[in-house]
Amino acid sequence: MTLEFTQSPAFTMGVELELQILKSHDCNLARDAADLLARLGKVKHPGEVKPEITESMIELNSSIHERYTTLADELRTVRSVVARQAELLNLRIAGGGSHPFHQWSDRRIYPTERFKHLLNLYGYLAKQFTVFGQHIHIGCSNGDDAVYLIHMLSRHIPHFIALSASSPFYQGEDTSFVSSRLNAISAFPLSGTMPLVESWDEFNAYFEKMHRYKIVESMKDFYWDIRPKPEYGTIEIRVCDTPLTVDKAALLAAFAQALAHYYLIERPREATPDLYLVYNYNRFQACRFGFAANFINPYDQQHANLGDDLIATLKKLAPHAVALESSAALNQLLDETATRRNDSSWLREQLKKSGSLNDVARLQSNLWMGKPDRA
Amino acid sequence: MPELNFLPSLPPALTPPILFGLLLLMGLLGGEVARLFALPRITGYLLVGVLFGPVGLGVLSSQLIKESRVFVDISLGLILFELGRRLDYQWLRRNRWLFATAIAESAFAFCAVYFGLRYFDYPPLHAALAAAIGIATSPAVVLLVAHELRSEGQLTERMLLLTAINSVFAFFSVTMLLPFLHLEQQAGWAETLPQPLYVMLGSLLTGLVVSFFVLRFAAWLGKREDRQFIMLVGMIVFTAGLARSLNLSVLVTLLTVGILARNLDFRHKLMAVQFGHGGQLFFVILFVMAGAGLRFDVLPQVAFIAGMYIVLRFLGKALAILVFGRLSGLRPGAAGLLSISLLPMSGLAIVMVQDASSLYPEFGAKLSAVVLSAVAILELIGPLATKFALKQAGEAGERR
Repeated sequence: MTLEFTQSPAFTMGVELELQILKSHDCNLARDAADLLARLGKVKHPGEVKPEITESMIELNSSIHERYTTLADELRTVRSVVARQAELLNLRIAGGGSHPFHQWSDRRIYPTERFKHLLNLYGYLAKQFTVFGQHIHIGCSNGDDAVYLIHMLSRHIPHFIALSASSPFYQGEDTSFVSSRLNAISAFPLSGTMPLVESWDEFNAYFEKMHRYKIVESMKDFYWDIRPKPEYGTIEIRVCDTPLTVDKAALLAAFAQALAHYYLIERPREATPDLYLVYNYNRFQACRFGFAANFINPYDQQHANLGDDLIATLKKLAPHAVALESSAALNQLLDETATRRNDSSWLREQLKKSGSLNDVARLQSNLWMGKPDRA
Repeated sequence: MPELNFLPSLPPALTPPILFGLLLLMGLLGGEVARLFALPRITGYLLVGVLFGPVGLGVLSSQLIKESRVFVDISLGLILFELGRRLDYQWLRRNRWLFATAIAESAFAFCAVYFGLRYFDYPPLHAALAAAIGIATSPAVVLLVAHELRSEGQLTERMLLLTAINSVFAFFSVTMLLPFLHLEQQAGWAETLPQPLYVMLGSLLTGLVVSFFVLRFAAWLGKREDRQFIMLVGMIVFTAGLARSLNLSVLVTLLTVGILARNLDFRHKLMAVQFGHGGQLFFVILFVMAGAGLRFDVLPQVAFIAGMYIVLRFLGKALAILVFGRLSGLRPGAAGLLSISLLPMSGLAIVMVQDASSLYPEFGAKLSAVVLSAVAILELIGPLATKFALKQAGEAGERR
């Protein structure tokens, strides 16, 4: 079985957002995905809305965009439609990588064949997989570019984690991580990174072997942080927590797009095994400490503050952002990084102010749905 | 022989603690036996009540039933408060079709029963009163069955919301009709109007004042679930007792507290406290006593009319939900199940019948037999209906 890499226009982008469905009366996770999806199936909206592994989640897929502004506009439109339909069912929708206090054992698997299969295979891990991520797709004109880009982006995974981190609370506790969600994903046997292949042919050889071992059926079985998506002709970055707002989701996509533009046009580096020697250290540091993390540069072994390294990266991307008409987006990320605050900081502040995780969940859903709140 | 006057007389008197403990243990047994037959636990509690009540072994005399009133009031208080908190005004405001469903559900149930009884030549006022009582679904049954099944979803939410609303409608309709009964007896407006007005306004006002204090108290306590739990139980028991002492309606007062505590809590000071195991104790008592209060003696004579009453009431509710349900965003196929889930009638109806007959004995003689027989039947099949509906709808939680 050989995977054909569909050609797609380079630097196009799209995002998938996994979202939380909450009950209005206590802001715990609801089980109404099917009813909400049925309603959304009847109203017009751009993009697609799909079920996810448990009945407390839905996934928004944007359409394909060349520019940041159209992506952001589309996400805001879909946001309004989804929020409106949810309200008719007395539900709330929230961003954030984890629900602050739900109990995983209360979750129910969304009844499709694939999700039932995952429950049979993974047991409680499947229900603990009720965490919410943003996936960013970047179009590549061929498989070799995709493989190269995946290796290059691995250096920036900590940046994506620190920028998107929004899962400080898990099962009713402060985890001390800025992103606790990635810990839930690390438990899966096929999580991690793509092996150090150098071309699409080499990748295919690897995939065929894994397929012959019957370890995997399709690309879907790899839960890698970044993976190729040959049927779309994209690479897919999967480490981001779903941000608290769709605006932030669009900003993250713009960052990924600018990085891709930089690497595929300038080709400044070659993929080396060193990238993956520091990978898990850097990833953990980013999950745990966010912008304050220690970051080891795989190319020169120098230690730096992750926030500083991100600022340097964003500055280096400036000319590419001009070409992609996303300078405003990258400047906004630059400003946010300078303050060293991300969505996790916001969530912790809300807990301090309100005193309960139910309130945190309510406030984060207000933020996502664009509702004003009195307190 | 020395006098053994320190020894108690035998058998020992059934003091309230002994009674409470016994009822709990018997109810528990009944509930577990019911589980063996895949029945809802509350059906088990009820059957224990029937078995030990005046109809059965007669252990629970009418006197004891009266004395246990305090436990029943506390249980009802907890349930009505909880149910009131499920009445989300914002939801009704955003989803107008849901609002229409709620109005129609109460109105159609009333009309169906009213015209049905008129067809069988019951006098208009009696028919209206019986129909008004039939508007209400049993708050205790739907809430406890939903809890027992850990049921969640659109059908569950709507069932609880509609029950809260139809309970309010039922009470107000009955209270509004009572003066007309008085008038029929040639009493003047001056004698007949003040009492229902006092009950309605008094209950609402008390509910308003209590909910104000609940919210202030909660704000002062801060977000600590254990403290808020004690505060709420204290407030509810106090309010249930106060309403009883002031001759107000425990139902309306506590429902008002629940509704206002939810909808006036703009600053979100009140936490979503679960009554959990503590509440469960009172609910066992509630249903054992409800079972003991059931009347089957007149059932054979009015079986047909009571059956018609049940069927018409169901058809009225079902029609409203079938017409408006889809428009309000209910998924296809769920309307029928929602109608079935609203079948239960219980203690609330009995209380309203008693209120009516105490003011107007002739009503008791004529129609209370029909309503009470219908209640007796629905107490037994209602929990099963609700359980069936929630399970069929796929909203029951997984067994643990």
